[in-house]
Amino acid sequence: MKSRIASLILFVLLAAVAFAQSDARKSLPPSDAQKSFDGMKALAGDWEGPVTVDPPQPGWSSDKPLHISMRVTSRGNALVHEVQEAGTPLDPTKYDHPVTMFYLDGDRLNLVHYCDAGNRPHMVARSSPDGKKIEFDFVDLSGGNEYGHMYHALFTMIDANHHLEDWTYMMPGDKPVKAHFDLQRAK
Amino acid sequence: MDREWNDNQPIYRQLRDRVVAMILDGVLKEGDPLPSVRTVAAEYRVNPLTVLKGYQQLVDEELVEKRRGLGMFIRAGAHKLLLRGEREKFLDEEWPRIRATIQRLGLTREELLDVAEKPQSRSDPKKEEER
Repeated sequence: MKSRIASLILFVLLAAVAFAQSDARKSLPPSDAQKSFDGMKALAGDWEGPVTVDPPQPGWSSDKPLHISMRVTSRGNALVHEVQEAGTPLDPTKYDHPVTMFYLDGDRLNLVHYCDAGNRPHMVARSSPDGKKIEFDFVDLSGGNEYGHMYHALFTMIDANHHLEDWTYMMPGDKPVKAHFDLQRAK
Repeated sequence: MDREWNDNQPIYRQLRDRVVAMILDGVLKEGDPLPSVRTVAAEYRVNPLTVLKGYQQLVDEELVEKRRGLGMFIRAGAHKLLLRGEREKFLDEEWPRIRATIQRLGLTREELLDVAEKPQSRSDPKKEEER
């Protein structure tokens, strides 16, 4: 009988500790990475806008927009980002759309870019104090570097319906090509 | 240009290689314009950013030049530059293997010169059968 009572008390104590830990976890303020990820997930939806490139390309008409779609998936654990031309239906045979995945790993917001160059650069975010700029710095690369790789990304939140994206691709020989997207939420 | 892409190389690199082949074959001559990024993207159903990278590669290799407000053009000297590069590549990368095969097979200089002077006769299967 005494051992049963002791077991019951132990169970109650363990349960209390577990609940307390759970409550403590819930009451912890979100990390900077979590805030940045939440900010990125708020971009879910379709976006369109002009793109300017650097070095400038003659014949690159920035008035013809590109389309970006962002989708939260995996029960909120990942954000998928995809680029295509605006005004064209999503063509599953047109397979060179760059795809980027964003995900949280501990206290780091990560980005993996699935490039048509056949490699997967990995970048980690740092956020501006006001949270309106989320900058991704290159960490490492899986796959070869023979054809260059995506090197840097910057997301600037203007308002709920307007944001900017700046992507830097490093060509072979470490020559950067930059693309600046000025995106409005598509109706 | 062929509309099909293979999975061995990035599309931007294949696009670059196709323009290079067209310069070497004389289809694109020095001073000729390249179609715009958007035209190529639409025609070949690829992302404009992919075309942009292909063209930028050609600029980086000094084969193509940008003319403000006009577009992209094959640079003067592009054919010579490419030919020099391709010759060096052949002599550095392919020739050592070919020479090793020649030595292994014991082919003589005379036999090789004979074949070089009559390249068609060796590749014509009917003539091969007649021998």
